[in-house]
Amino acid sequence: MSLSEHDIVIFLSSVAVMLFFSRVIGEFLKKFKQPIVLGEILAGIILGPTIIGALFPEVMQVFLTNNSAVNIAFQGITLLAVVMLLLVSGLEVDLSLVARQGKAASLISFMGFVFPFGVGFGAAWFFPDELGISANQNNLIFALFVGTALSITALPVVARTLMDLNIFKTEIGFVIIASAMLNDLVGWIIFSLILAMINGGTNGLEFSSSIFMLSAFIVFILFIGRKIFNYILPKFERVTTYPGGILNLILVLGFAGAAFSEWLGVHAIFGAFIVGIAIGDSVHLKEETREIIQQFVTNIFAPLFFVSIGLRVNFIQHFDLGIVLLFLILAFVGKVIGCGLGAYWGGMSKEDSLTVGFGMNSRGAMEIVLGTLAFQAGLIQEKVFVALVIMALVTSLTSAPAMAYFLKRSKKKMNFKDLLRNDLIIFSDAQNKQQLITELSGLIDVKHKINKEKIEQAVWKREQQLSTGLANGLAIPHARLKIQAPLVAVGICKNEIDFNSLDGSPAKVVVMLLTPETEHELQLKLLADISKCFQTKSFLQELSLLSSPNDVISKINLLS
Amino acid sequence: MAFKKIGLAITFSPNSQALLFEAKRFRELFKAELVLIHIGDYSEVLNAELTKMIDETGIANGTYKLLWQEGDVEDSILELCTTEKIDLLIAGALIKENFLKYYIGSVARTLMREAPCSVLLLTQPSVVRAPFKKICVSVDFSSLSEPSARKAYEVSSLLNCKELFFIREFQLPALATTVYDSGSKEEAQQMRRIWQDEEKNKMELFVRELNITDADVKTVCLYGKQGWEASNWVSENKGDLFVIPSPARKPKLLDRIFQHDWEFVFKQLPCSLLIVKPENAD
Repeated sequence: MSLSEHDIVIFLSSVAVMLFFSRVIGEFLKKFKQPIVLGEILAGIILGPTIIGALFPEVMQVFLTNNSAVNIAFQGITLLAVVMLLLVSGLEVDLSLVARQGKAASLISFMGFVFPFGVGFGAAWFFPDELGISANQNNLIFALFVGTALSITALPVVARTLMDLNIFKTEIGFVIIASAMLNDLVGWIIFSLILAMINGGTNGLEFSSSIFMLSAFIVFILFIGRKIFNYILPKFERVTTYPGGILNLILVLGFAGAAFSEWLGVHAIFGAFIVGIAIGDSVHLKEETREIIQQFVTNIFAPLFFVSIGLRVNFIQHFDLGIVLLFLILAFVGKVIGCGLGAYWGGMSKEDSLTVGFGMNSRGAMEIVLGTLAFQAGLIQEKVFVALVIMALVTSLTSAPAMAYFLKRSKKKMNFKDLLRNDLIIFSDAQNKQQLITELSGLIDVKHKINKEKIEQAVWKREQQLSTGLANGLAIPHARLKIQAPLVAVGICKNEIDFNSLDGSPAKVVVMLLTPETEHELQLKLLADISKCFQTKSFLQELSLLSSPNDVISKINLLS
Repeated sequence: MAFKKIGLAITFSPNSQALLFEAKRFRELFKAELVLIHIGDYSEVLNAELTKMIDETGIANGTYKLLWQEGDVEDSILELCTTEKIDLLIAGALIKENFLKYYIGSVARTLMREAPCSVLLLTQPSVVRAPFKKICVSVDFSSLSEPSARKAYEVSSLLNCKELFFIREFQLPALATTVYDSGSKEEAQQMRRIWQDEEKNKMELFVRELNITDADVKTVCLYGKQGWEASNWVSENKGDLFVIPSPARKPKLLDRIFQHDWEFVFKQLPCSLLIVKPENAD
């Protein structure tokens, strides 16, 4: 069978229309800070049976043509897209990060998988009909799938959310990323086992043989293949043109892994994902290469895959409110409580645990990929597929606002501006730095019940080592103490205080910073933050002219 | 005083003489006591041979303690470090072990990972030492970083070292995925630059907090896998001594399989290595 001239015209025009609409809607939604993938799915829903198919069935025929040659071409291109999507997802899983994660991240990873899996499995096992099991579907396989579907966390959405909330480079951000990576790895392994269970016996392989070979494949690629890739990568880069050569190598290896896992009776994406992990772990893989391949896959191939989802199913016809609500409740309960408990047991506060819980609740594109594959494999029916897509979108869209809400309430403030409190700002008459340090220490004692003498002693000890007077009339006396969270007290001085500053100018604004004894990096981060805030002389002068603590906070908050 | 009691594990290998000369020099430099350790069966003949070797280096009799101990080499050395309260153990080390030895652990690699005190591993011990010109220190802002940076500064002052580099490496895993889901490559790169600047500021403050006024400390901020980036930089820039804090926990086999942090350094030493254990550590 080959494509006729007419088929080629239809195929290429359809690809052009899909890419055009997905980009237009995606860019429109981006203006409202919504993920581009939402636009891609909406494009599919509009172009597919849900909207255009219902209103103009004859136009719809152009896309969902009955011509089997064109359909095979479409299948091929969407398969390529999803394989590449999982390949690049694998590239970002850092196994060493997973290996070295601390107590909190280990508990979050564990609870973030086991708890939602248990919730999903239990619900599907005991209430399969309510969750939309298909007729003649094996209950165990369905329950395993629902459990896995609820355990997935989408790393790209998580990373994006952390970046938007400006917590990517914080302890919470690090813990969430490490946990999401492990979740992804375990989730895809379990899903591949489910697919092997369904496809057992195909390709002449029994289920047990498939499992054995799959395990051998994972072990070989992650333990030996990883070392081989790391060895050949720089050599290959030296003898080929950058970035073409290296991109070619990544795709060649990814497709080979995908072909092998497909042969095992496990979907091709799994092989691509595992090979992606092995390549991504190489110290020689440049950050720029990762970004180039991400762009190439997510701007060209991923939209075709996500648009094709809307083309497959009528979202209105198969929308079942009961199933959608059930999946949403199970998704939120499973992830937020599971990861939240993991974080709490790992030593995080209640607020931080909930931040982690909602952060890990993003299902995003990975859930949609999982749902699509399950739908194609006949594991789930349209109603469940639609519910999964909606659940993936709702959990992703609610993640950032929910995290922002709990971050605001977190005791672990990471930025200077978040630490400012109007009852810890004074307009001081102090004549010298000793008087001022005593005054600010006393203020903290009154408001936070931390012994004034201890503060004074620690700050003064540090001050005697080296003065904390900086340039432009700013001083940041500081110390590390046995406290739970960082604190700042601000003194706006009516008199000029000699702080032996770097430029010789007397201090007019003095920020006392106290940080927990064990958090060395946090102290440096806040010191850098404060000095950056007050880097201009004019700003400090303007501050010294203000008369109320609220005005001081408002003025500082105006800084970008 | 940078170190009070130096330990040296000696054998009858070709490097032993050079290591003895090195130990002698460091003892004089740090004004420290010297403990020489030999693990093996005691015999009068071997003892005479060992004493002769020591005498040849000019280490005067009575100014050192020679200990003989039988048993497993690594365990015995580690035990003696604790019982003798040694705070710097000197040993020779190959730049790179063979594949199997790296995973199973050679004597030098075990000492790097498990020593209860600071360890100085000399890749090219010599009878006449060329001075350390470039000392590089890895800084990760952990509680272990400050003591190791201070110790490096102390050592560099005593050695009259010309260049002292503080190196900070950091990486944000999965940053490239933000390109996906409405991000752009430029945005990710810009964020990386902002974070790199932030790290540079923190480095400057870190140096200031150490109150190092009489040395020109240069700071380097690298983006990439911790351990590997710094090690690579030291190697490319021909550092003579690389100073790192001791591992926060005892590394396991899994850490060697999925290498991270100092395991990259231990796998292939960029130059001589000083692993600093804080004085109040376990």
